[in-house]
Amino acid sequence: MRSPLWKLGAAAVAVGVMAVTMTGCAGSGASADTVNIGWEYPKSGTFQALGIDMENGFNLYLKTHHNKLGGRNVKLVPADETDKPDESLKQAQRLVEKENVQALAGIMNSAALVAIDPYAQENKIPIVSSGGRPDLKPKQLDGVWHTGSINEHGGEAAAPYIKKQVDGPVYAMGADYAGGWPKVKGFTKQFQKLGGKLANADGKPEWTSFPKAPDFQPYMNKIADSGAKAIFAFYSGTQAIDFIKAWASSDAADIPLYGPNLTEGSLLKAEGKSAKGIYTPANYSADLDNSANRDFVSKWTADNRPGLPDLYAATAWDAAQVLDKAIKAIPAGEEVTGEKINKQISKLGEISSPRGDWQFDSKTHAPIQPWYMRVVKMDGNKLSNVKIADLETL
Amino acid sequence: MDAYLLNVVNGVAYGLLLFTVAAGLTLALGVADVLNLAHGSLYVVGGYVAWAFTDGGWGGFVLALLVAVAVGALLGAGLSAAVAPLSKRGHLPQALLTFGISLLLIQALVAMFGADDLSPAMPAALDGDVSLMGHRYPGYRLAFIGIAVVLAVAGWMIMSRTRVGARVRAIVDDRDMVACLGTNPRLVMVGVLAASGALAGLAGALGSPIFGPGPTRAHDIMITSLVIVVLGGLGSIPGAFVAALVVGQIEGLGPLIAGDWTSYLVLGAMAVVLVVRGPRRLGLAAAR
Repeated sequence: MRSPLWKLGAAAVAVGVMAVTMTGCAGSGASADTVNIGWEYPKSGTFQALGIDMENGFNLYLKTHHNKLGGRNVKLVPADETDKPDESLKQAQRLVEKENVQALAGIMNSAALVAIDPYAQENKIPIVSSGGRPDLKPKQLDGVWHTGSINEHGGEAAAPYIKKQVDGPVYAMGADYAGGWPKVKGFTKQFQKLGGKLANADGKPEWTSFPKAPDFQPYMNKIADSGAKAIFAFYSGTQAIDFIKAWASSDAADIPLYGPNLTEGSLLKAEGKSAKGIYTPANYSADLDNSANRDFVSKWTADNRPGLPDLYAATAWDAAQVLDKAIKAIPAGEEVTGEKINKQISKLGEISSPRGDWQFDSKTHAPIQPWYMRVVKMDGNKLSNVKIADLETL
Repeated sequence: MDAYLLNVVNGVAYGLLLFTVAAGLTLALGVADVLNLAHGSLYVVGGYVAWAFTDGGWGGFVLALLVAVAVGALLGAGLSAAVAPLSKRGHLPQALLTFGISLLLIQALVAMFGADDLSPAMPAALDGDVSLMGHRYPGYRLAFIGIAVVLAVAGWMIMSRTRVGARVRAIVDDRDMVACLGTNPRLVMVGVLAASGALAGLAGALGSPIFGPGPTRAHDIMITSLVIVVLGGLGSIPGAFVAALVVGQIEGLGPLIAGDWTSYLVLGAMAVVLVVRGPRRLGLAAAR
């Protein structure tokens, strides 16, 4: 059957495919009325569940704004960040070189941000990330913007509140990795500065294995014996679920538990009643009473997104909003480029957001924003994170 | 002092959970000579089955266990068919193939159940907290100790007191001789991997309140199980039993004694065993 004719046919098909692909490339370049955005978020791996929340927030903004940013049609090019920074960088390179994107958004993993940063700077493609944000040096920040929060800030904002509420030493612990250290140290540094003492035997936070979760039950018996009057802990994902279940089924449950991210988003569903009474400092709470948030939550519900929006959804929504405002400031008819977007972001003033108004810190390129203390309790017939106090603005 | 006693009890519960997982892995390795890196994902399948069938009552719980065993056995038998063509090529091709299969399985589970970690609804009588030496403790872990002991005794009876068990032990000693006696090695391979899969599925369902279903769990339980299999001696079920209990105690007492070093203790123990015993004494194909 495999006659020369067959080969000729195959060759013809191949040439045809190449021609189509090439025209596709030529057509995807920037123009005055369209903008290509590289939307890189974790579609697989450790951060997948968080990626879904992120995608919901960003996607909802576009959907409720006629799929336009700054009056230009958006060609959103999604890519899988995965949980491997090497792969995250490869995907970013593909977005910039093959898809001609003018900006990158998304990026959940702090390590992925660090990996992509120099490449994006070299190509003058601005990043608007909304996941984790490690400490970056000033030269790493040119064109690199963040709409979530700096990893230390949650704990730092919570410290004065906890110092006031708790009469005695606090047991501090967290997951032993680059994402976990600043989350816990943000608290311990500030708490000790205010005269607080740690209940840990050596006066230092305890670190537990990551990514493989330890059995947390033994730690709880240790904490219950330590004389601690409160616990401050950082865990996320699977580890947060294990940690909280162990806490609730031990004597440590009599000790109040504070910590960023512990009950965020879909975690709360898996934790169930174990999570009752847990305090989380956060830069967002679905029950915030401001008009931007009422609007955000009602759009979320009207569009049948799962449950209530969490902070990953709210900060991704803001990433879309930042791009929208920056691109709008580029005069109509002018071609949109990465450099122009970056320049306009640096000029943005206050941003009206579901989490309350915030603006970029010109030094850190991350928000100066209000912080809240929330507690898990029944809200109607469902467990939710409910705001109980305003914390500092950081 | 109470914290130590509580953690010893907890270490027994956690160790027995690890044993129920590692037993199937070491069985497949010892009898069928298959290094099955998909074992962890079969455990997770059991967890998802538990989530799908449990409803807070006993009926759903028992049904979940039965379905988890059946699904685990089916997947195990399927694995035996997949690795059959590689039987003469040693462990590395098996490891690569079964690792690939486990990645596919995990992605399929995420497609079916979503990316979130899930919590099955156990019967209320098992789910609550109990008072152990005057301290609050999860009742399910105590119940699990009982269930796992029954399982271990049943397994030991089958291996030591039945014809099937005798045949299986004979295969470990001299595969070729057993084949000469008229036992079809292919059939044994299917049977052993099905039994190993069933055990993984059962462990996944029973273990779901302690180490529940989620996309990252398969790798975690796989690593710990491999460590236990190495510590206990490749293919040795009694060895795995002792090793699992030791690891349970390390995890339980480590936080009280070793602090931040706890996470390195288990791997450290494995390194010591490998150095002291050497690859030859580990047995089986590792030395061949």
